[in-house]
Amino acid sequence: MVNERNIYKPIMASLTDVIDESPLIKTFVLVPEKGFSFKTGQFIELSVDGIGEAPFTPSSSPLITEKLEVTVMKTGYVTECMHKLKPGVLMGIRGPFGRGYPIENFYGKEVLILGGGCGLAPIRSLLYALESVTDKLEKVILCYGSKTPSDCIYKPLFARLNKIEKFETYRTVDKFEEGWNESIGVVTSLLNKIKMNIEKSVAVVCGPPIMMKFGTIRLLEMGYQEDQIYLSMEKNMSCGLGKCGHCMMGEFFVCKDGPVFTYSELKDTPDIWK
Amino acid sequence: MQYKSIKKEEWDNALEKLLLSYAIFASIPNDSGQDYEELRPVDISKIIYNKPKPATSLKSFFLPVKENVTSEKAVKERILIGIPNCDIEGLSIIDEIYLDKDFPDINYRERRENTILISTDCIGIQEHCHCLTYDIKPFATSTADLALISLNGTMIIRIITGKGEGFVSTVFPAAMPLKDEEILSAVEKEHHATETLLSSANKGLPDYKKTGILVSGASTDLWKRHSARCVSCGACTTICPTCTCFLLIDKPGFEKVKQMDACQYPGFERVAGGEDGLFVLQNRFRNRYMCKYVWKPGKFKSTACTGCGRCIEACIGKINKNEIFMELAK
Repeated sequence: MVNERNIYKPIMASLTDVIDESPLIKTFVLVPEKGFSFKTGQFIELSVDGIGEAPFTPSSSPLITEKLEVTVMKTGYVTECMHKLKPGVLMGIRGPFGRGYPIENFYGKEVLILGGGCGLAPIRSLLYALESVTDKLEKVILCYGSKTPSDCIYKPLFARLNKIEKFETYRTVDKFEEGWNESIGVVTSLLNKIKMNIEKSVAVVCGPPIMMKFGTIRLLEMGYQEDQIYLSMEKNMSCGLGKCGHCMMGEFFVCKDGPVFTYSELKDTPDIWK
Repeated sequence: MQYKSIKKEEWDNALEKLLLSYAIFASIPNDSGQDYEELRPVDISKIIYNKPKPATSLKSFFLPVKENVTSEKAVKERILIGIPNCDIEGLSIIDEIYLDKDFPDINYRERRENTILISTDCIGIQEHCHCLTYDIKPFATSTADLALISLNGTMIIRIITGKGEGFVSTVFPAAMPLKDEEILSAVEKEHHATETLLSSANKGLPDYKKTGILVSGASTDLWKRHSARCVSCGACTTICPTCTCFLLIDKPGFEKVKQMDACQYPGFERVAGGEDGLFVLQNRFRNRYMCKYVWKPGKFKSTACTGCGRCIEACIGKINKNEIFMELAK
């Protein structure tokens, strides 16, 4: 059947709540006009009326279709406008787009997740998805790094996950602040604390490009194979449809072929960390 | 492939009548050569057949420079006449991008469906024509609905699609299939002569695949040297029959305006945090060649450069991509 949908037209969603996560990061709770489902790791284009549109991977559970949470760091013009929004306004959503995490490939394995900064947003959605299939997984270890303790987002998440059997979490910060009693150092330093059965494991990396680069290098040193490492790439995904060309990375359209790739798919593509 | 023929006079008269129900665009002469223009009865006799090529490419009929894509518009049925095969082939890759099964663009599809594409076989070449080097013939055998050869007062029509066949049967019900071997071999002779001209004009120019290999392996120095004359004006991408990158601009009421964009413009790849993989001029310059000869061939069946040579003609820095490829092939 011919698909008659206008691919450029967003559906409407009411902004029902705005949660402060850190000085620069807020989570927007949206109720779409109709049920909205996505696979964890897929992204949406979220628009502020008349201002602009930007790509975000939802941070909420893919099992919930009536509500959607999107965690946004204030980085540019559109996100700055988003941060000024108050509950009650309408926002536009297009998507979901792209290829998410292939959760089925994680079954029977240990899952190591390396997150940095706002990269924890897609990871939170992944964690919700993994939580729903805990019986099919060996264990899930989350290593998360942020600049300072104040920049650390989803604070209640860690305490909750640590109570779940098979889940372990570790946090580190680059810069100490009073009251912090966890690790200090870059996120890869947390990898010295954990023990994985690497042969029966997959690793997921999501964060700023520099962290993704060094995270991947460290995982390879630990013995992870290139196809065991899943990267969530971030480029200028403008249309989400594999058409506008802005997110082209080598022969891939990140918006359509990704944003989740294995390192083996990308290793020969130049400038992937830029 | 089936051919039919009619008298040129009969063809011109039919066009005059068709103008009452169709918007017709054809390649007609202007101060700088020829270009697609909306046809008026007075211009029918001026339509250029068999001579490459209109100054601008075909894509703007299907991808306007700027359009509101959130509002759907009815497109009047159109006939486009005088399209060289480099432009027809350019449309093949645009079809792959805009009519893909996951996200078909309904505005683009409507324009495609409401347009009859009448190509014209090239007899003779222009200075920068090099379609054959990329395995594209100077005459259409697919994608277009019909192709025309104007020969000695006769219009020979090659019927390519069912849509084209329907058009000919409706407009020229008396036209019979052309079986005259003498005329058919005259057409073949013209094809052969044009192919010979293309081959000799582009001797030494690497083919499409080889160009991809050479472009991938080219040194930073080469890109730096050749990009020195590039002013990032985007003329090459604007005029290209296969470049289709765009920008989405938000308007109040959640409307979106789609505007043609180009990887040659600074900021094309910039993300919100300021990172920009194509910030440096030579990287942007290289990007266009990598896209056309290395990346798109890995992704699409159709060719991403059809050898029309317009980018060479349009460049105000007088950058000739074929000279770069010849240098690489040395």
